[in-house]
Amino acid sequence: MSASAGISMRDALYEQPGPKMRRRIRIGTAIALVLVAIFVLGIIRQFYVTGQLDAKYWAFFLQPTTWTYLANGFWGTVKVSVVAGAISLALGLVFMLGRTSSFAWLRGLSRAFIDFFRGVPSLLLIYFFFLVIPQYGIKMSSFWMITLPVALSASGVLAEVFRAGVNAVPKGQTEAAISIGLSKMQTMFKIVLPQAIRFVIPTLISQLVIVVKDTTLAYVVSYPDMLQNARVLITNYDALVSTYFVVAIIYILLNYLINQASIAVSRRTGVKILRPA
Amino acid sequence: MSEPIIEEHVPMVEYRHVHKHYGSLHVLNDINLTVEPGEVIVVIGPSGSGKSTLIRTANRLETIDAGEILIEGLPLPEEGKQLARVRAEVGMVFQSFNLFAHKTVLDNVIMGPVSVLGVNKKEAEEEAAALLRRVGVEEQAHKVPAQLSGGQQQRVAIARSLAMHPKVMLFDEPTSALDPEMINEVLDVMVELARGGMTMVVVTHEMNFAKRVSNRVLFMADGQIIEEGTPEQFFDNPQTDRARDFLESIKTH
Ligand SMILES: Nc1ncnc2c1ncn2[C@@H]1O[C@H](COP(=O)(O)OP(=O)(O)OP(=O)(O)O)[C@@H](O)[C@H]1O
Ligand SMILES: [Mg+2]
Repeated sequence: MSASAGISMRDALYEQPGPKMRRRIRIGTAIALVLVAIFVLGIIRQFYVTGQLDAKYWAFFLQPTTWTYLANGFWGTVKVSVVAGAISLALGLVFMLGRTSSFAWLRGLSRAFIDFFRGVPSLLLIYFFFLVIPQYGIKMSSFWMITLPVALSASGVLAEVFRAGVNAVPKGQTEAAISIGLSKMQTMFKIVLPQAIRFVIPTLISQLVIVVKDTTLAYVVSYPDMLQNARVLITNYDALVSTYFVVAIIYILLNYLINQASIAVSRRTGVKILRPA
Repeated sequence: MSEPIIEEHVPMVEYRHVHKHYGSLHVLNDINLTVEPGEVIVVIGPSGSGKSTLIRTANRLETIDAGEILIEGLPLPEEGKQLARVRAEVGMVFQSFNLFAHKTVLDNVIMGPVSVLGVNKKEAEEEAAALLRRVGVEEQAHKVPAQLSGGQQQRVAIARSLAMHPKVMLFDEPTSALDPEMINEVLDVMVELARGGMTMVVVTHEMNFAKRVSNRVLFMADGQIIEEGTPEQFFDNPQTDRARDFLESIKTH
């Protein structure tokens, strides 16, 4: 559950491999690499056979305008992801606090929100912001029409992530806190939450991947994110496969980086918590 | 504090006909107990007899079903600021230390004074340093709890309690999670506290501690205090069969 538990678990489960094991690992790695290479070559061959490698499908990637256009889209994706991520963190925290409050009505209400936003597909929420809300005379830019629903949809999940973190904090911490006279609020904010957040930081970062993927629904509201701009390129150059290929690689790299960040943070916090005297 | 009870004698803690159930389990059954200021009481008894529950009711970590608990003559408040204030005056030391895992030793000790009593940070740190010196862990002040041995952690936990200037301290098996070689360093601190006049209720099976400093030993079984006496009376000449059997069983350990 926690970062520290993850690290110690790994240490406990996997002892240092011996010489035999190391040889087996090397052989396994080699076989895997060969398989991956065959797979990649197969794809390239298929591209070639179907004519997807023709210069006309790729030449426009040599023009700087193509890349500025994609970069603009990328910047749009980053903006929506970062703002939606921030809002969902704040909302997730609020929903979690509501869900664990001592007022039954607040618990019920928060729980309803969490379940609703977790259960409803982001696309439906986006349609709601795009089609329904403007009917009530509320004007909203396309940025907010994509950012708010993506944020709401993630906030339900994040509330549950935070709650898992809070539950992972041992009960003795709370008991010790109230025993020295801390109020419920002080106990939550000074003792429980800081530890809970430390437990879930890697999970929170990896949830950002889901936010990034949700931002690709921006085409519904015509917000120029990277995928939306890619579509324009596809229409302009009639180059569907090559464009999607390039854009997919960019998304994969972006999400890979996010995942690496979460792993790095989990390692670092794990080490920090466990560092021996 | 409505009546002027100034020079009158008031017990530190008083249980009056206290009952508590967990479902059908009668875990506290008509507990009557008076702890005088400066008294050191040891609670002893078989596992599941209700010892932890008994002391945890004194700062309302556990609620009670019937009866009354008074701290310095006033009923234990049920909630809110008043309850927090009483808890601040009743120190609690746990079997598993429960130091705040994300805070340094020093920050553990100043947490209560700064956040509850409103002491300024610098003053609190000075006093904390003195307390840590008193329990012999001043060198660990800037480490986090996970870097300390069990015995050191428990001594920090005691210092954290002391920082609140408690009127009474409750100990729930403070040494039973410790390796044998660390038990004495914790007991020594507790003996020093007892000799310094601290009112203490201690759940422990450490007979030597009981014999050295306690005024009274309570023997609990099935949620009741079934025997009570000075340590000499109790350990050398137990009155009930249950107590005799129990003492036999812990001697053979
Ligand atoms: N939260 C709870 N819910 C239900 N039963 C409980 C709960 N806490 C304790 N009990 C039960 O109440 C009884 C008394 O528990 P308590 O912890 O007070 O015993 P104890 O004398 O401290 O025992 P030990 O020496 O094992 O610590 C036990 O039978 C225990 O199983
Ligand atoms: Mg117990």
